[in-house]
Amino acid sequence: MGLRSYVITRIILTIPTLLLLLTAVFLVMRVLPGDPAALHFEKKGDPADVERLRQILGMDKPLWQQYINYIGGLVDIGYLRQHGYPNLGKSMYQTSEEVGGQVFSAFPATLELAIYATIIASVLGIMLGVASSKSYGKTPDHLIRNFGTITYAIPVFFLGLIFQLIFGVYLGWLPTGQRISNVAPPTTITGLYTIDSILQGNIIAFVESVRALLLPSLTLGIVLSGVFLRLTRANMLETLRLEFVTAARARGLQESTVTYGYALRNAFLPVLTMMGLQFAMLLGGAVLTETTFSWPGLGKYMVDRINFRDYTAIQGAVVMFGLFVTLVSLTVDVLCAYLDPRIRL
Amino acid sequence: MIGRVELAIVALVLIGIIVSSGAMYYASVTLGNVSTLKDQLTDLQNSLQSTLTGLETTLTVGTTDSVELTLDPAQAYDYFGWNIIQQIGETLVSVQPGSATGADFVGNLATGWNSSSDLKTWDFTLRSGVLFPDGTEFNATHVKYSFDRAIELIPQIPEGAPAGLGYGDIFDHTDVISKYTVRFVLKIPFSPLLGILSARSSTIVDPKYAPRNVQVNYTAGDARASTPVAFVGPYKLSEWIRVGGRDQEIKLDANPKYWNLAAGYPRIKHIIFKFYSDAAGLRLAISAGDVDMAFRHISPVDVLDLQTNPNVKVWFGTGAQIQYLCFQTKRAPFNDPRVRMAVAAALNRTDVTERVFLGLANPLYSIVPPGMLGHTEAFAKLGEANYTLTRSLLAQLGYNQGNPLKFDLWYESSGHYPQSEQQALLYKQALEASGVIAVTLKHADWASYKLNRDNEIMDAYVYGWYPDYVDPDDYAFLYWASWLHTNYANATQVAYYDQARATTNSTLRTELYGKIDGMAVEQCSVVPLWVSGAWAVTKPGVYSIFLDITQDMRYWLISK
Repeated sequence: MGLRSYVITRIILTIPTLLLLLTAVFLVMRVLPGDPAALHFEKKGDPADVERLRQILGMDKPLWQQYINYIGGLVDIGYLRQHGYPNLGKSMYQTSEEVGGQVFSAFPATLELAIYATIIASVLGIMLGVASSKSYGKTPDHLIRNFGTITYAIPVFFLGLIFQLIFGVYLGWLPTGQRISNVAPPTTITGLYTIDSILQGNIIAFVESVRALLLPSLTLGIVLSGVFLRLTRANMLETLRLEFVTAARARGLQESTVTYGYALRNAFLPVLTMMGLQFAMLLGGAVLTETTFSWPGLGKYMVDRINFRDYTAIQGAVVMFGLFVTLVSLTVDVLCAYLDPRIRL
Repeated sequence: MIGRVELAIVALVLIGIIVSSGAMYYASVTLGNVSTLKDQLTDLQNSLQSTLTGLETTLTVGTTDSVELTLDPAQAYDYFGWNIIQQIGETLVSVQPGSATGADFVGNLATGWNSSSDLKTWDFTLRSGVLFPDGTEFNATHVKYSFDRAIELIPQIPEGAPAGLGYGDIFDHTDVISKYTVRFVLKIPFSPLLGILSARSSTIVDPKYAPRNVQVNYTAGDARASTPVAFVGPYKLSEWIRVGGRDQEIKLDANPKYWNLAAGYPRIKHIIFKFYSDAAGLRLAISAGDVDMAFRHISPVDVLDLQTNPNVKVWFGTGAQIQYLCFQTKRAPFNDPRVRMAVAAALNRTDVTERVFLGLANPLYSIVPPGMLGHTEAFAKLGEANYTLTRSLLAQLGYNQGNPLKFDLWYESSGHYPQSEQQALLYKQALEASGVIAVTLKHADWASYKLNRDNEIMDAYVYGWYPDYVDPDDYAFLYWASWLHTNYANATQVAYYDQARATTNSTLRTELYGKIDGMAVEQCSVVPLWVSGAWAVTKPGVYSIFLDITQDMRYWLISK
């Protein structure tokens, strides 16, 4: 199967996958106890008023009809063209707000954190993994492996708290939370503050957004680096024993060339797959990190919506998350096929 | 030998040195004086600046709150939404800052008022010269429009504040008597009207931004279009950014047309709100100096810890949030008031307020909080951990050590109420220490908790209340509130309540609320537990924080 056919097939297969996911979430949400309409009435709720609100929210209709209406909204191309995002319905908790608008307003924060956290995790994990494999059995190897175990085991919110205390409170170098401090956010172009501030030439906003991003991305990156570290180390150890590496050394190539140009290139594919998986997971929102650093992303959004019994918001967020995971997974597969000619799609 | 020429040169050099030294000395003295003068001028400028009360400063406020949905007085019913509305809009009257009782009203957009003897007709004289940002002068037509709109929208927004405060049952109609006189004609005699009129749901709207028949929602990128509130308050809403349905930043700027500018308000020109996910994040932010002020919510243990931090200042004040225990009276065991009273007597409120809230809450012995008219200590009659009374009451019904009273005690577990689990554990401990009660703790998240309440499946459950307006009228009804689903009713208490509404005689009102409390102790349908304190944390250079019984944070009074 050629690459183009493979990509098209995967995209087509995304539709039933998302449909299954959506159906499961739709049913699970409605099994949970709690009435979204009643939640609007903080104190007093006349039964007639609650019932009227249920009608406004469409909850008076049979389940199958609610499901069909929702699917119909999702495939509304006109809405997609007008708003730039699919019709995910109106929030059942904040009934005047579109779920699509809410999800896509929170997504850039999650994307930005995911990008930088993945970069840090990858660079740190791969570099340490290589170093560990090169000093196999020696003290550096033991130290690095222990570092990997500790970072993997440490709760992310605990590490985040430590960083906030040291760098935020005691040293006062970095803000303890929020996406940006001291200055107004840059005008939205991509929604990623670091990119938008560069595009607008706003150096101050760029510096402040980087300062705000440092602690949460470092926290998440360090915790995730343990996975990359161990995977890289294992693959490198295997690859470094192969004959082609010995041959490369025998031909007099520099050790760094042998390590990074030959061994790591071959050991990298599983790491690339893991990077894709981790990145896709992060796109669903790193709830604990977002809560610790008051980062306004999708993770916190979804947790809040569950508490509010905001069925449409949860459905919408899950659908978009499924789409992101599918796209990332497809991208990783294509990249792997591109990098390794032995892989046939 | 030194000649005359050489002597002359030496003399000239010496004279030159002396003169230049003198000149330099004189210059240094003069420059020093200038420097001193400059310093004095700088000091004077700083003094003037502080006298002008820091009009150029910015206050950054951290909070874990968020506007729930809108800043439309016809809909908003959450603390933070009301707080923002209060900064940008005005009501006819408000409670005097620092009031201990909540009954000290001052005029905002009204300068005077009077009522008919039957308390059904109220006339308000309005303040002249109050301008909207576009130069339109505020007058009686704006009051009528605001209240007519709020009431007309009730069917469309049944979950909004006007519905919740009973505007439809209280107000009959509003009349424009003259340009600066407005009349409220009520359906019932209603002495707490000033309290209702000071609530945010009574904020005056700007007809240009307040369509009659629809609520005004958040509009991304347009703060003015996001609220119908007339910007006649100390601030105007300059920026409102929401992400994922939660506030990310709100910015208020001083209103140059504010009617009370001459008094020096607002003292701070810009307020920026920053939103944090939880109390821990907010505590870290104020500790790190990321914000100038942290208000709602910092946990009691953090507050007490921050008191020892020299880089912050902790402010304490009066609270009005209460919690109470409800009983399901339609079935055994709590269909018998003796059982309810037995449980009430076994409670140990002090244990909870000291161990859970570290002294930052106080035991409550009346549904009306301390300070307010009508507060009593009625439930103190039952005592604290009064196991003698508990055992004797339960013994009458056959309960004893071998046959304890068994029931489920429910609490909310998703953080809607503070430290619910810790409280519940102590209540269970206290009740079981009697030796004749066995408690099973159960919990549910807020959505399920409300559903359970409505389905009446909980034997006993803890609930909370914060005031819509500061008057016992907004508390006393809790003993029989139908939406609590306790299935308790008492026509006598309701009659006392209605009588208290129909009189402004504070002595009579106090007596009536006392009677309501007295009956409540005998019936124990709802048992008061505690009343919160209030606190805020600021940097040392922040002043004039009022934490009074209204629970309002008046940012225009704050100086920095």
